[in-house]
Order: sequence, then structure tokens, then C-alpha cells
Amino acid sequence: MDFSIRAANLDDCKDIARMIMELAEYEKVSDHVKVTQKDLEQDGFSKNPFFHGIIAEVPEQHKTKEGHTKIGYALYFHAYSSWSGRAIYMEDLYVMPEFRGKGVGKALISKVAQLGLAAGSHQLNFTVLDWNKPSVDFYLSQGCFDITATMGYHCMRCEGEALKHLAQL
Amino acid sequence: MEYKLRKAEPRDVPDILRLVKELAKYEEMEHQVTLTEKELLEDGFGDTPFYHCIITEIQGQNSSEDPKVVGFAMYYFTYDPWVGKQLYLEEFYVMDEYRGLGIGSGILRHLSNLAMKTRCTGMMFVVAENNEPSVQFYKRRGAEDLSQEEGWRLFRFDKDSLVKMAAPSEE
Repeated sequence: MDFSIRAANLDDCKDIARMIMELAEYEKVSDHVKVTQKDLEQDGFSKNPFFHGIIAEVPEQHKTKEGHTKIGYALYFHAYSSWSGRAIYMEDLYVMPEFRGKGVGKALISKVAQLGLAAGSHQLNFTVLDWNKPSVDFYLSQGCFDITATMGYHCMRCEGEALKHLAQL
Repeated sequence: MEYKLRKAEPRDVPDILRLVKELAKYEEMEHQVTLTEKELLEDGFGDTPFYHCIITEIQGQNSSEDPKVVGFAMYYFTYDPWVGKQLYLEEFYVMDEYRGLGIGSGILRHLSNLAMKTRCTGMMFVVAENNEPSVQFYKRRGAEDLSQEEGWRLFRFDKDSLVKMAAPSEE
């Protein structure tokens, strides 16, 4: 299946807001979502953005029955480790259910890794809910390791060789 | 004891690294610190800072002595797509011999104020579960434990607790 990965822009905020809600529903906490499309526009696309976005898009002929061509996203921002310096934190990674298993997730996380390395990051961190087995399995298969093995939230990190490898996918 | 809380400046970098290493030693992770003074300088005081730092210094016994840096906090802004901007407290430390003087509370109060001014909906940080003094310090101030298991935890101050912490000290 053909798809493209690109940096998000202001016009993507409507679809990002939609997919944030879909991800929250998947994580069973959609009532926690307060951020609106307008917040995303202001917070992500003004002079000093608080996050950056990547969008996965499919051509018109593969659009969903509701007409969506933007079918996945990742949100990340620059973070800092007091022990090792520059880091990337991947806040969200999501692919719509009917587009999974086709390499979109890998492509999104790879893009985040590339951009992170280009910005001088030493590590990529993120969290996963421990019952989310498909996601945990996916991340472990990409060479990440689990920093807090016994918790509800896991901090995952890709660093060094695993990160470089991820950026080359 | 007089202490002064101020924004860190490039000249503070050696002290920041010193305190980072002291805290890592306290957590028995000193060997994990690979950050250098050069990186701290470039990353905190260049065109696009990756972190911000505030420090607490204490005036020496004699006025001719340089003030001593005895505490610091390192923070940056993050984003929760559900509730928006957060202030992320990456590192927060007061030297052993200067604890119990309100320095830590002063730092947290300053940061809560900053979080509110910059329209953050929370302040987040991670604490090792076995660090009882720190866990109690934060819980006393209304922090919520977001990941109630053993090991590392995500803590968040919600709006009400931030407002309380941002209020002027009773002393």
C-alpha cells in the first residue's frame, strides 16, 4: 500500500485532533481529552511550538469510508536528560486500525528517530500502557528496551545503535 | 539563612554539573552521567535552549566570599495532547546540608508560578518509588501518582495543587 510520511502543518490539526481522540478511545480514556483543534494550532504551529507532528497519508484511492487520507500521526518534542543531554520524547504514535500491519507505524517512528538524530539527540523516550501488547511487542521488535519493567506505564528508550538502525528503515 | 533563587547563567554550568552528579550519586547512578559542561553550555544557553535552569545560592560567611550554589532545578516544557502544555521537572536537588530550610519549597513555588504564567495545565516529573523522602515531599503538596506501581512513577500537579503551591508563603 502506498503511503507518504511528512511533517505536519497547520491544516493537519483537524485530523490530528480526530486521531488523538481515536487513540484516547483505544486507550479507554477519551473523557480525558481536553485539547481542541484550536489548541493544537496554537501550541504546535506558532513561533515557539511545544510539539512537532508527523503525518502518514494515503492517496485518494485508499481513503477511508469517511473520506480521510491522513491515517496516522506521531507527536514528539525535544526533551533533555540531565544525565545524557539532548533527547527526543515521542508523545503519541497512532495508525488507524484498517491501515495497520503495512509498515506505517515503523515509518512514522523511523522519521521521528531521524529527526531526533539530526537534532543531536542521544535517546528517544516514550511510554506505553502495559496491557497494550500489540504496541509493546512492536516497540520491542524495533530494538527498544523497557526501563521500568514492572509498571502500568513503561518508559521505553531507543538509543545508540538501535536508534541509528531505526532511522535507516 | 539568606538564600537567593535566580535564573542560571552560563557561568553556573560547572555547578549545575556538580549538582547533577551529586544527585545521581544519591540515586546510586553516578556512572550514568555522561553529560559534559560543554553540552550543558550549548544546550542551555544557545539560541534554542533545550532546558531551563534555576539555581539557589547562599551568601558565604564573609561578604568577600563568593556565593555558593546549593540547589537547582532543571525543567523544560512538554505537551500532553489531551490537556496541553506541561512543565516538566527533569531534575530538582538541594545539597544535603542545606535541606529543611525551605529552599526546595521555594524552588517548587517559583516553578508552579511559572507553569501558571505560561498556561501549563500541570507539572510533571518522575520519582523513584524507593525515594521515600521525595515521594512524601511531593504527596504533601498534592502531587498525584499517575502510575501506581513499583519503580519509577509519573507525578503531576493538577491546577488546584499548582494554585496552592503558587500562593505566597505563610512564613
